[in-house]
Amino acid sequence: MPEHRVRLPGLTPERICLLLAGGFLGLVITSLHGEAGLIEGLAALVAPPDDPTLRAALHFSWWPRLAVALLGGAGLALAGVLFQQVLRNPLAAPTTLGVASGANLALMAATLMAPGLLAVGREWVALAGGGLSMGLVFLLAWRRGLAPVVVVLGGLVVNLYFGALGMVLLLFHQEELKGLLIWGAGSLAQNGWGDAAFLVPRLAIGAGLAWLLLRPLAVLELNDASARSLGVSLKQLRLLGLGLAVFLTGCVVSVAGLIGFIGLAAPNIVRLAGARRLGPRLLWSTVLGALLLATTDLLLQGFTGVLPTAIPTGATTALLGAPLLLWLVPRLRLHQGDRPPEGGTSIGQRMARPGRLGAFLGVGVLLAALVAAAVGQGADGWHALPPDWDVLQWRVPRIAASAASGVMLAVAGAIIQRLSANPIASPEVLGISGGSAIAVIGGIFLLSSPDNLTLVAVGTAGALVTLAVLVALNRSNGFLPERLLLTGVAITAVFDAVRSIVLAGGDPRGQQVLAWLSGSTYYVDLPGALVVALLAAVLGLAATPFVRWLDILPLGAHTARALGIHVDRSRLVLLVLVALLTASATLVVGPLSFVGLLAPHMARMLGFARAGSHLAGAAVLGALLMVLADWTGRQLLFPQEIPAGLVASLLGGAYFMWGLRRV
Amino acid sequence: MAPCRLADTGLRAARVLAFLWLIVPAAAPASSPRIATLDWTLAETLLALGVTPAAVAQVDAYDAWVREPELPADVVDLGLRTQPNLELLADLEPDRILISPMFANLEPRLRRIAPVDILSLYTPETDTWAEMLSLTRELGRLAGREAAAEQLIADTQARIEALGDRVDDISTPLLLVQFMDARHVRVFGDNGLYQAVLDQLGLDNGWPGTTNYWGFATAGLEELAGIDARLVVVRPYPAGVEERLESSGLWQALPSVRRGTTITLPPVWSFGALPSARRFAEALVTALEEADA
Repeated sequence: MPEHRVRLPGLTPERICLLLAGGFLGLVITSLHGEAGLIEGLAALVAPPDDPTLRAALHFSWWPRLAVALLGGAGLALAGVLFQQVLRNPLAAPTTLGVASGANLALMAATLMAPGLLAVGREWVALAGGGLSMGLVFLLAWRRGLAPVVVVLGGLVVNLYFGALGMVLLLFHQEELKGLLIWGAGSLAQNGWGDAAFLVPRLAIGAGLAWLLLRPLAVLELNDASARSLGVSLKQLRLLGLGLAVFLTGCVVSVAGLIGFIGLAAPNIVRLAGARRLGPRLLWSTVLGALLLATTDLLLQGFTGVLPTAIPTGATTALLGAPLLLWLVPRLRLHQGDRPPEGGTSIGQRMARPGRLGAFLGVGVLLAALVAAAVGQGADGWHALPPDWDVLQWRVPRIAASAASGVMLAVAGAIIQRLSANPIASPEVLGISGGSAIAVIGGIFLLSSPDNLTLVAVGTAGALVTLAVLVALNRSNGFLPERLLLTGVAITAVFDAVRSIVLAGGDPRGQQVLAWLSGSTYYVDLPGALVVALLAAVLGLAATPFVRWLDILPLGAHTARALGIHVDRSRLVLLVLVALLTASATLVVGPLSFVGLLAPHMARMLGFARAGSHLAGAAVLGALLMVLADWTGRQLLFPQEIPAGLVASLLGGAYFMWGLRRV
Repeated sequence: MAPCRLADTGLRAARVLAFLWLIVPAAAPASSPRIATLDWTLAETLLALGVTPAAVAQVDAYDAWVREPELPADVVDLGLRTQPNLELLADLEPDRILISPMFANLEPRLRRIAPVDILSLYTPETDTWAEMLSLTRELGRLAGREAAAEQLIADTQARIEALGDRVDDISTPLLLVQFMDARHVRVFGDNGLYQAVLDQLGLDNGWPGTTNYWGFATAGLEELAGIDARLVVVRPYPAGVEERLESSGLWQALPSVRRGTTITLPPVWSFGALPSARRFAEALVTALEEADA
């Protein structure tokens, strides 16, 4: 179990909850007073529905909403404690494990293909989707005895994959799915007592089961060997614990939508406040989660009516939670400290002569580019050679840009994976893509009809600000890889929240944002492509002097220091390089791409083990992947175009899951 | 990859034919220019002017959301509105491309294919109806159908005036909503199509809140509870929502629902121009009369 370096002085879980409960009650009273007067408001709790309108609104909307907020917060916090206990990872949460995105995707698919199912019950559709995605994660991690690192890795991949599938559906059916966008952003609005009545028995059962599992689950705090020596079947216990957490999450998610942060924050706050044993952690986290969500929701309701759009509570909790997460990260002591995590980095065999395979792949890239330039579709169907070579003015920039961004993302990914000795590291995880995406979204919404140059400038500024935040927050700990990744996760959470809020507003400009977010080379013109290609070449070559560092840093800080490397300085330099690479690529193909994760990983699996060949192999594979993804995306649903980033995610994600199973 | 085989004679023949087909209309005396548009609102106005656009973006979505006037089958689909297929568009060789400011970022690229005109509607702080009329005239000018544009304006205004006379005695404010899910609606207000039509008909809008750039606000059902106005629900309902509303305590308790005065309208493109405005006016007045009869 990770331990905390500091405890909050003078605070116990009881006191925190009491403090928050005071604020919560105050809000309830003032809010009721504002709505209808305190007495009338309280009477509305039990009022029969044939009363005057105002009381009906209180009875059917205000009170059920409060109840669902309390219940939902409690359920998510409980699930969060279970996830974190079982996975021994303080950052495990329903949203990071793919449960939420699975539920989301199931609802989208049902809306489009089998709307009859929704009439039967949205909650069951969501539950099935969430269960399915968690099942997939289990399947991926089964061979490794559901080891925590592999489960988190699998969850991340499933999350990205389902997220990408969801984006495809959304891109082509924005109007039909606009209601789900509200749900996806976590809205607690109620219009009757049905949802509260749905949650009560299910959460009661869940809490009861958690209580029964209390003692066996506490054993999980020991390491695997000690726990096994006590005669506990770890696999079954983990399965049971995770299954229970998924059930709780699914129930809440199906009713209230995606409200991820509570499940992450409540358990961590309680632990920071000094609750060590599982029993008190479960109890106080549940209470705190309920109060946190209900208080946030009450505060938000105060703003409704002032703004032209409903602000979804779930996205707001994530937005408010991110700073807390950033504050939390430097204060967590991760047991993986300075050494590389077990497993993970040893994927793949080292190959004796990587040069030949590299050359072969290079030829592959050239061939792919030629095919992509020649073959395509026009008004009169397919052609192997374009009837009018003028068409190259559209194709060449896209091929060049996709290859270049593939190279940049792959090199960035390879560096960050070696730097952190962590196979789940990727430019997206660092949050730089997210940071620049937030800036671009802001640009699209706040400036009237911005041109591409403005957007590029805005996006670069966003990436640089994110980089500054990353550096500022990690300077004091010497850029420890895990810390850095966690900071990135927090920034990504901000980005997700901003995106959800924007999309839930239902503004038609959301389509433009969506189009860019899904990572298309569509907006690249020839000068742009040349700039990107030049950047890729310069930045790619800039990485070569650092190959020695990249060979040594994965061995751990102590070894690196012993070999005479300034660990902090080299990490900072590499970090800046990664940031530049990521920002340049993000501006072309959007923040959502699997290539930074996938290409370095594939290169490793193919046997490019040393840093030099790893970088080169990843770069070539990255270019190949993106060129193929771009071309496939343009042909598959012609004349509609599936963005290259999405296609890369879908192709790459499937491959990655298959590879993960064999690890 | 299978369908593309190098130097396929059949394919080559087809290409020659297609080439000829492209040549012929250009050689014939062109009555009106070949126009491509990304915007459904411009497309529906063009159709109302008797001009069939050569290509429109997202044809299937147009059929689902705008519906009328119907797009002829030979209109080429350009793909997503935000990312029209440039290769296809260039291949079609249109004389003119029309877009709305929402897609202004595409303009430099589209200009390489054909002259581009940006026509705006729903500009904040301007009178929507007046802007709709000038949009129609501008389109008429671009398509060489000035007379048809004046005719469309005159017809629509006369029709709406006649419809307005039929609802002279209605003083209850209306609340125009479209469901997003069982708990949330879009409420339409200032700077939108429906509001412009309400103004023309002389009806009141009961929504006291603000609206966004596009003339609507996203609101929870509970925000409607305190408003004493007749609810007008514009279809379509999202899947499952109609069933859920039957068991929704809050919905049943809304004043308009309790009194049974709520009316539902067939789908009308809520960001449209004159054709949509006319359809909406017809549907609204008919429904109001039926409900009060």
